Amino acid sequence: MNKGTGVGTGPTAAAAAAAAQKQKTMMQRVETDIGNIVENFTQLVNVARVNDPAVGNSQEAFMMEMRAARMVQAADSLLKLVSELKQTAIFSGFASLNDHVEQRSVEFDQQAKKTDRMLARIGEEAAASLKELESHYYSSARRTAESA
Amino acid sequence: MDGNLEISLDKLPVRALDAIEENGVERYPHELSYDEKRVSLIRRIDFAWALETDEERERKKKQKKKNSKDATATWQWQSMVENLQLAHQELSVIIDLINTVEANDAVTVAGMTRPKPLPNEVLSDLAVSAATKLQCYRHLGKYFKQSAKALEQQIAREARFYGALIRLQQNWKVKRQRVAAPSSSNEGFTIDLFDNSLYDSATISRPSSLSVIHIEHDSAGMLAINLPSNSCHSLHFGFLGVHSADIPKESSKIKTHGSVDQTTRDSQKESMSDDESVKETHLLLREVHQSIFNDQVFDMVNREAFNQSAGVNVTGIRENYLQLSIGQGTSLFISLVPSSKGDDQAVDTANAQNLESAIVSLDSFDDVKSGEGKHDITEKKWGFPNRISCEIYLQQIVHEHAFIKGKDRPNSSGTRVSGQSGKVGSGLLGHFSLSLAHRIFSNRVLMKLENVVCRVPYLHLMTHPTWHSRTSSWTIFMKVPQSILHVESQSQKSDFQNMKDAIKSQFRTKVVVNDDRINVEGEGAPNVVGLFKRSSEDICSVNKYDCDLADLPVIILQQVASQVIRWLHEEALMVGIKTNRDFLCLTFELEQGETVSLVAHVDPEDIQGCISWWLVMEDGFAEDWKLQMDMSDGASEYRKFLGHLSLDVLYSTLMDLVSLCGGGGNH
Repeated sequence: MNKGTGVGTGPTAAAAAAAAQKQKTMMQRVETDIGNIVENFTQLVNVARVNDPAVGNSQEAFMMEMRAARMVQAADSLLKLVSELKQTAIFSGFASLNDHVEQRSVEFDQQAKKTDRMLARIGEEAAASLKELESHYYSSARRTAESA
Repeated sequence: MDGNLEISLDKLPVRALDAIEENGVERYPHELSYDEKRVSLIRRIDFAWALETDEERERKKKQKKKNSKDATATWQWQSMVENLQLAHQELSVIIDLINTVEANDAVTVAGMTRPKPLPNEVLSDLAVSAATKLQCYRHLGKYFKQSAKALEQQIAREARFYGALIRLQQNWKVKRQRVAAPSSSNEGFTIDLFDNSLYDSATISRPSSLSVIHIEHDSAGMLAINLPSNSCHSLHFGFLGVHSADIPKESSKIKTHGSVDQTTRDSQKESMSDDESVKETHLLLREVHQSIFNDQVFDMVNREAFNQSAGVNVTGIRENYLQLSIGQGTSLFISLVPSSKGDDQAVDTANAQNLESAIVSLDSFDDVKSGEGKHDITEKKWGFPNRISCEIYLQQIVHEHAFIKGKDRPNSSGTRVSGQSGKVGSGLLGHFSLSLAHRIFSNRVLMKLENVVCRVPYLHLMTHPTWHSRTSSWTIFMKVPQSILHVESQSQKSDFQNMKDAIKSQFRTKVVVNDDRINVEGEGAPNVVGLFKRSSEDICSVNKYDCDLADLPVIILQQVASQVIRWLHEEALMVGIKTNRDFLCLTFELEQGETVSLVAHVDPEDIQGCISWWLVMEDGFAEDWKLQMDMSDGASEYRKFLGHLSLDVLYSTLMDLVSLCGGGGNH
């Protein structure tokens, strides 16, 4: 197919080709659907003229209903296309996802380091306080003995 | 037909002469064919009577209308009905005629032409068609509006759903399975909570059933995650016999979301904005993640508990509950508790309480000595580390070992590195149990040390945090009082001596506990070899590998007493008096060969003070002594109990003895 995307290695070229094919298909679908809508709407407007034999009118009435249904179906198909695109974006947006994951990893690492530092600081402060308190306690005049 | 009968006469079918020409040729009229005859007959039928009756009827009706117009409101379709009836009548007449004629097989209908419509008919036809068409378009318009509304709703729902999904994807691994028949509630999206970064995949035997979570739509089309109730577990740890009612009601691990059933969630969801619901989903996923981790921790504990090298014994096992004995008569339990509010938790609390009261560990009271029972229990209760800190510690070491060991930890401190070396041999559970056992043991050691230090006024205890889970360290200082130092400093000769004395004003005894081994290291105690050589080394270490704490106070006191003796010895040397120093005894030689000794006596159970002093005199002339003596035996030594002396008093006693010795002091 479209191997001439300029990417060197095998899998990436195949993936790029597949992506291009998929994109082409989607564009075709879009065009088809929009063409459908436009054409049906045009026809709808065209039959606005009232015919002389009334038979044509009822025939046109059925045709109008059919064209309206086709339009709605084309719109629905477009919406499904949009959903598919969204899903593809969710599962294929690797660049932004990787960036985000990296960013979060960095954030969490920093938070972990910060927590570690805080714990170390708390430990040091607790040790310093303990030392001070012990020296005060044992230097004080009265020391209560631990008894049962 | 009316009463009058009209008769029409035909010509006789006699061939009448039409004309004679001069030459005698007779011209007869042209003979009509059979068909022509029929047609002429039909033409002669007079429909005037029918038309007349119709006209009369119309006239009558018009009159009726005029009469009744003002009186009653005419039905709007009346004229149309009448027209239709008339038309129907005319048609039926014509059809009957045609049928009659055709039945007689004389005439066939050649063709029928529609009468040229009148202008008002044309216009009314046009109006009807236009109205019909307009109606059709209106109908289409409504259809389009409905469809548009439905599609907009669908777009909104999808936008919410995908928006939430994208936000979830920032933090969680979203996967998609191609579902063959995607239902409205499940499009095949799942969130995978299984951690691929595990260091040792063998450590984790089975992925939890919670690892894969299905994403569904709720009734409003928004993203929803439905979990069965009580599927999230939290870890619960406790010591048997100590923690009776400590089920974590107040713990921060209470999960409030996992068990709320779907209907309440739905009703709450409507009032929540999208942001809040996404946040809630994040919280829920995080809880599940934590629960999976708790499951893994419990799994690991279970596996290692049956490993002989772990050093723990399994004494009880139930579903999601494991009871271990870690030695020294201590039993602990680890269980997985469903983290839910309400009745379930009350039931669990009751169950756990019943369990703990039922399985009273007799081992806890193994080493209760007679008469010390109550004291020991209090001691044991006090000596247990905080339950929640043990939980956190267990989780931390599992996390560190299982998840992080493979990666570089640039900020790992030295204690962690050294701690890890201990884990490799005995496994994580072994390390954990040894840490707990050490903590309990070191608490007891601390109690003993404090008892000793509190009773000896000139001792200070200092704790050295080692930041290691299996090592504890204390130092017992003996400080020479400032007053004595001040006195000495007046008589200093050299700076060197000053410095030397300054060093000697503090004597240290270091107590280090590794796991359950106590190591006492102190200066000032002469070892046995030094005694023989008449010199003492500066530092002797007394190592004792003993789990029984009973000897520790005695050893400490002996160490301290020997340090005091050493100090006194040096003080005496400094004033020029020669004294002999024994382990706990300082001997002065008097003039007539008599010796007076200052002897230390240690007794850890002595409430008034652990170190008491005796003055012992040896060799005759007892009756010449002016001091009062207690004759405890008939031996030639006399002992006087001096009591629990402070260092000041000891120093002055020393000086008295020095002066008694008759030595010239420098003071």
